[in-house]
Amino acid sequence: MEQAENPGRERILARIRGALRETAPKHGAPASTGPIFAPVRDPFDRFQKECSQNLTECVITSDMGASAAAVAEVLASISPGQIFVQDAPELRCMVPLWPHGRNIRWSSEGGPLEASQATITLAEALVAQTGSVFVSSSCGGRAASVAAPVHIVVATLDQLVPDLDAAFARLRERRAQETNSMLCLITGSSRTADIEKILVMGAHGPRRLVVVLALRTIPARG
Amino acid sequence: MSTPAQEFLRNAATKSADLVHRRTIRTGIDHYEAAVGRSGARFHDWEAARQRLHEIKWEAVNHLDRYLLEFETRIRERGGHVYWAETAEDARRYVTDLAARNNVRTVVKSKSMVTEEIDLTHTLEEQGVTVFETDLGEMIVQLRKEPPYHLMTPAMHLTRAEIADLFREKLGGVESDDPQHLVAVARRALRRAFFSAEMGISGANFLVAESGLMALTTNEGNGRLGSSLPRIHVAVAGIEKVIPRMEDLAVIWPTIARSAVGQPIACYNTLIGGPRGPNETDGPEEFHVVLLDNGRSELLADPEQREVLHCIRCGACLNVCPVFRNIGGHSYGTVYGGPIGSVLMPHLGGLNKFQHLSFASSLCGACTDACPVKINLHHHLLQNRRNAVRSADRPASERLAFKLWRWTMMGSQRFAFVGSVARMLLRAAYGWGLARTPLDPMRPWTKVHGAPEIPAKSFRALWKEQHGAS
Amino acid sequence: MFIPCFVDQLNPEVGLDMARVLQRIGYSVDFPEAQTCCGQPAFNSGYWQEARRPAERFVEIFGASDADAIVCPSGSCTTMVRTFYRDLLQGSPLTGDAATLAARIFEFSEFLLKVAQVADVGASFPHRVAYHDACHALRELRLKQEPRELLRHVRGLDLVEMPYCEECCGFGGTFATKFPMISAAMGETKAAHAEASGADYVTSTDPSCLMHIDGVLRLRKSRVRTVHLASILAQTAVPAGAQPSSRTAVARGPSQEGALGKGTP
Repeated sequence: MEQAENPGRERILARIRGALRETAPKHGAPASTGPIFAPVRDPFDRFQKECSQNLTECVITSDMGASAAAVAEVLASISPGQIFVQDAPELRCMVPLWPHGRNIRWSSEGGPLEASQATITLAEALVAQTGSVFVSSSCGGRAASVAAPVHIVVATLDQLVPDLDAAFARLRERRAQETNSMLCLITGSSRTADIEKILVMGAHGPRRLVVVLALRTIPARG
Repeated sequence: MSTPAQEFLRNAATKSADLVHRRTIRTGIDHYEAAVGRSGARFHDWEAARQRLHEIKWEAVNHLDRYLLEFETRIRERGGHVYWAETAEDARRYVTDLAARNNVRTVVKSKSMVTEEIDLTHTLEEQGVTVFETDLGEMIVQLRKEPPYHLMTPAMHLTRAEIADLFREKLGGVESDDPQHLVAVARRALRRAFFSAEMGISGANFLVAESGLMALTTNEGNGRLGSSLPRIHVAVAGIEKVIPRMEDLAVIWPTIARSAVGQPIACYNTLIGGPRGPNETDGPEEFHVVLLDNGRSELLADPEQREVLHCIRCGACLNVCPVFRNIGGHSYGTVYGGPIGSVLMPHLGGLNKFQHLSFASSLCGACTDACPVKINLHHHLLQNRRNAVRSADRPASERLAFKLWRWTMMGSQRFAFVGSVARMLLRAAYGWGLARTPLDPMRPWTKVHGAPEIPAKSFRALWKEQHGAS
Repeated sequence: MFIPCFVDQLNPEVGLDMARVLQRIGYSVDFPEAQTCCGQPAFNSGYWQEARRPAERFVEIFGASDADAIVCPSGSCTTMVRTFYRDLLQGSPLTGDAATLAARIFEFSEFLLKVAQVADVGASFPHRVAYHDACHALRELRLKQEPRELLRHVRGLDLVEMPYCEECCGFGGTFATKFPMISAAMGETKAAHAEASGADYVTSTDPSCLMHIDGVLRLRKSRVRTVHLASILAQTAVPAGAQPSSRTAVARGPSQEGALGKGTP
């Protein structure tokens, strides 16, 4: 927006600068350098515990081949209809192992359609502290992780980090916040407590979040 | 035409006496308290988390110009637009012009207090745009044509039966009042809107300066859908929402989730940096951030109360406030209610108009203890009261009463005299059986209390009897 | 002793009981007669200008006292001096004296445990008692265990906890007269919680809370009564042959009329 179209901008900035000429007091003792959160000793164990608490289905497999089979099992359990899949080599090569006849829309064709029954994507990282999945718009686009009733995440153990600090460090290292217009930390399936403050699963996002986690890492892609 | 203060007194009185309402709120609060208790175990040092959040917001707000400019630069680099709105009118106009230029027919909106503040939904509707509130609680109160009841849970004043009736009437397809089923009904109704709306509007929980990211948190996923599917995404945020770095969110996200709803962390913590990128396969073509001043820069200029701008809108202060627990969210009659609203509204809306909210508190301090960014809320209420006495309208009788009070307290003999006269009158009145009648001298008190025993002698008199003059 | 203005006029037994306990554990007690009020009512109502001179007068009176400590049977009044005099007396020539005073002033239970370091004051009160966490005492003076510790050492006393014991009773000074319906609702909530606890008595560090809770309990014709912490601690063993629940059972002079708590139905 050109400055001429937003004359308020300079006025607001001038008021802010004028206001800040006087400093406001800070209070309390400076935050200790000790840990705020209890340290995560066993990320793998912690991740599974958190997933069971936040109702993320966590399926552990030995390798990507076994992951393909696990995905197939999930697909067999959901309603027939189109599925939306991130167009990535790891997922392309899983297709032969999935139930035949499933209509697949790839992310390279655009976003998921209203009728999608499930979406399948990779992830940027898994976070043990909260049992979360960090995705980005590179993981099949923005809508991929929210548009369908079921979201399946295909991940590998080397993507698991202990806590949120480590997750942000990993994203920054890969410049994920620069190359993606969206990042999202997903913890459990969509939910709401708006009715009598009682937690109900499956609001507007997916009702089921499934993480298929292969123990054996695969070579880094490209 | 009644003033906000008169309306407030009326509503508060009605709601205080409504036992059903009090019970409903108490049930919600019980669930909240239990959840907060459970999620405390995740924090090795909760006080350190609060202190860190205080320092993060202090840094951001006390260098606001620098961080806002950094944020703006990053967003614009990625092809997003940043508009600085001085007033509510200014912000409304930007969004309505944008909608008109783009022939927007339908808007999907996620929960945003700041859009309530500027009354955006009504303005768009007047323009012929259909606006779907997609946060379940907001959707419910929108269907009921009511304002939101609470910062975080807009419909907590309603039972499932009431919500079921509402959905039955407005949406159809309702088979029971089971919350699970009701949520599914709402989801079905809104899904079409998500996929067909031309514009998504949201607030922003935080504006991350260094990386130029807008942080948006929801549990339902409505914010995700609204910022992914429509062609245009508009985010409105108060200028005070900045935080310096992305890494600050590692401590902020779990802390705000605990304070707000007693969860370990919210379901969808999203970061958006611009419109769809050149290599991306979906996402909005246009991304606009509207930065709203609307009185915030004035509050910024008050070093004593500047920290009120640290508020991260979690609603914890409302949840723990005994006044809120008894009068509910609608009684405040303002966009921001509860302790934060009582502190903030005089600044955003005028001291004369909203001073009564700062007086409608017993100053218990529970809000200050609960605030995850350590805003000294109840001390700010006291400061607002002081400001009201200095520069706003107070009843002349009150000003006189305190002048008399001061005179009385400046001498122990006059104090003892006034005290013994008052007690004598009361004992006489009560001796004649006037207690709790319209002639009771302590009528304002005894209307809602049993009549107290009035002692014959004061402490100082009894002490003197026991020990002689000191 | 710092005896709050309304204790002086409406709850004298609280002051007398506090003196009794202090003397029993070996302190000599003085009451500077010139005192009137710490200024809290005006301060809380926003009348900082009006509250200033009484506050300065307070600082002068107690500053001149050579007592080892100043003890007060009210958390809110103690807080006024310790926490809020700094704001109220900004720019006053007495700010230094106010700071010195702040370090020497204590709420009663705080004094017993932290200064006198006594938990057992030889009290006896064979009833079920719930403690109401008065707001200033809890959140400004940070007293939670101290009153409970004293109560635990009272012979025969059965200490129970009320649900939501930390929730404000709704008095709030002028709040109770400006917003009586809200204050009453908060008081009713507190009264209901007291009844739910099964306690015979509700006690607290703050006589203003108790006055409010008592008024609400009376209106409900509740069997629960209120009694100030000092009055519990002042109670010693009931003489043989006396009715355990009788209020006049303890041998006392005529000046202790009504000393054993309010709420006689």
